[in-house]
Amino acid sequence: MKISRRAALFAAGAGAVVVGAGAVGVSMAEYDPPEPAAPPATDAQGHVVWRNWSGIRHSYPQSPIAPASEDELAHLLKTSPVPIRAVGAGHSFMPLVPTNGTLLSLDAMSGVTAVDGDQATVWAGTRLGDLGPALASHGRAMANLPDINKQSLGGALGTATHGTGKHLRAIHGDVTALRLATVDGNIVECSKDKNPDLFDAARVSLGSLGIIVQARLTTIPSRRLHRRVWLESFEETLAAAEQRWSTHRNFEFYAVPFTGLAANITHDETSEPARPRGPETDSQFLEALKALRNLFSFSNTIRKAAAKVLLASSEANPEEAVDDGWKLLSTERPVRFNEMEFHLPADAQLAALREVVETIERERHDIFFPIETRRIAPDDAWLSPFQGGPRGSIAVHTYYKDEYEFLFQLIEPILRRYGGRPHWGKLNSLRGADFAAIYPRWKEFLELRRSLDPDARLLNDYLRGIFLS
Amino acid sequence: MKGTVRVALCATALALLSGCDSGPPTPEQLAALKPADARLAAIYKHSCKACHATPGSGAPLVHDHSAWAPRWAKGLSVLRDHAIVGFQAMPAGGQCAVCTPADYEKLIRFMADQEDK
Repeated sequence: MKISRRAALFAAGAGAVVVGAGAVGVSMAEYDPPEPAAPPATDAQGHVVWRNWSGIRHSYPQSPIAPASEDELAHLLKTSPVPIRAVGAGHSFMPLVPTNGTLLSLDAMSGVTAVDGDQATVWAGTRLGDLGPALASHGRAMANLPDINKQSLGGALGTATHGTGKHLRAIHGDVTALRLATVDGNIVECSKDKNPDLFDAARVSLGSLGIIVQARLTTIPSRRLHRRVWLESFEETLAAAEQRWSTHRNFEFYAVPFTGLAANITHDETSEPARPRGPETDSQFLEALKALRNLFSFSNTIRKAAAKVLLASSEANPEEAVDDGWKLLSTERPVRFNEMEFHLPADAQLAALREVVETIERERHDIFFPIETRRIAPDDAWLSPFQGGPRGSIAVHTYYKDEYEFLFQLIEPILRRYGGRPHWGKLNSLRGADFAAIYPRWKEFLELRRSLDPDARLLNDYLRGIFLS
Repeated sequence: MKGTVRVALCATALALLSGCDSGPPTPEQLAALKPADARLAAIYKHSCKACHATPGSGAPLVHDHSAWAPRWAKGLSVLRDHAIVGFQAMPAGGQCAVCTPADYEKLIRFMADQEDK
């Protein structure tokens, strides 16, 4: 939700409207739902709770471990209580991590170990926010990044995490070799030339084939990017989106429901001197949208009119910044949320988005988060949602204190009807048979998984449900 | 003379109580502050610093006494449990998968500048 300076203008405008409505209006506008119920910090045996970033998944692992070497990891994989699940930043909304056995962090296996030409070798525990400056010190950069910088490289690869750009692949698309620790205590190398099937399966594998400990990545020369953010009508954005994906290095937009507007974001290479973004203000933007929800959810017409008044000044003031790509493409996300994201055939994306927005504005007046719309180039990993052709993603977010079941009831049917594949880490209700129908190499993946981990030591209840059903 | 000493002692006590506070930490201080213990410093860098050393993040900044005072008043055990299970913008455990309750207590003491308490 990178809206920045616009957010401050918007927030100021919202404040003026609320003050105009008096004390009752202020109270209504500032209403924040109660904190969702939290599980106990420890269980009866004293095990400390693990909970995902948004708070909807948790478990009490009996053995949290953080090996510092491949040898230590290989030994632990043979001896630790099962199921053994790797965790990075816990940003997945699906129950990929919960385990009452072993919770495996690779935080102690972090950093760039070598840069040779355009190839960088990186420990899988490296957080994306640390990878940017580490590569920049070698004059290199990732070609693309997702919009959150907390994930570990291993977690991002395992769930097919991606950024945006018609000609840019998801992170796993730039992997050229992997080192995988398997449950028999071995370290296996794979690439297009060595164990190619394993390479194509393991790049997106949810920690189910082994633990990715190291990846070799194709990098690009570090370049500054020119970032531009502007608001315009949703209809104008829909009409121009394909052309913007074709002409900009990175393009994405956020449809802002109940406003008739969309926030457009482009990044293009530049030699201009740096003009940093300044402090994060996206939270204020979201607060303002929440205030509009709180005050005007009884009438779409009034809510839309109020939003247009508030945003009039910011529409004329696009945000601009110039900086290293890793500083602009990927940032902190201080407001927690839950999310469903599907990757659709590119030519179906915009029609599906229009239907999603219409459905939310008709059925769910409590929603205020913008809807993120991105484009991703294809790759050939077996379980990559981008396998077989370019995909357009649609991501619907809900505030972490708000109800999210509507995503399954209202949004998922639309996204599936348009041929969408779910993001592996984000909310979806698909089961094994559903995945088998949308991934042509599903059966081969299952066979390979069985050969590498016949006792399913790496599978928790959720993964058993999709891989063993 | 005795009165002057008393005033000086009182002034010193007040300064100590307020942590010799001269306002929130500067950006340079925020960037440099870290626990003395190397293991805790690594956890702090991974799991705390991104929010607790970034003005405007909404999190109480490390060694910002005025921000920490009302929180510290809730008691260390409350703050520890909030850190473990998550609270408001604070994600559970600061996204540290292998930290212990004792780690969280030490990190909270460090950030609140209450390590001697």
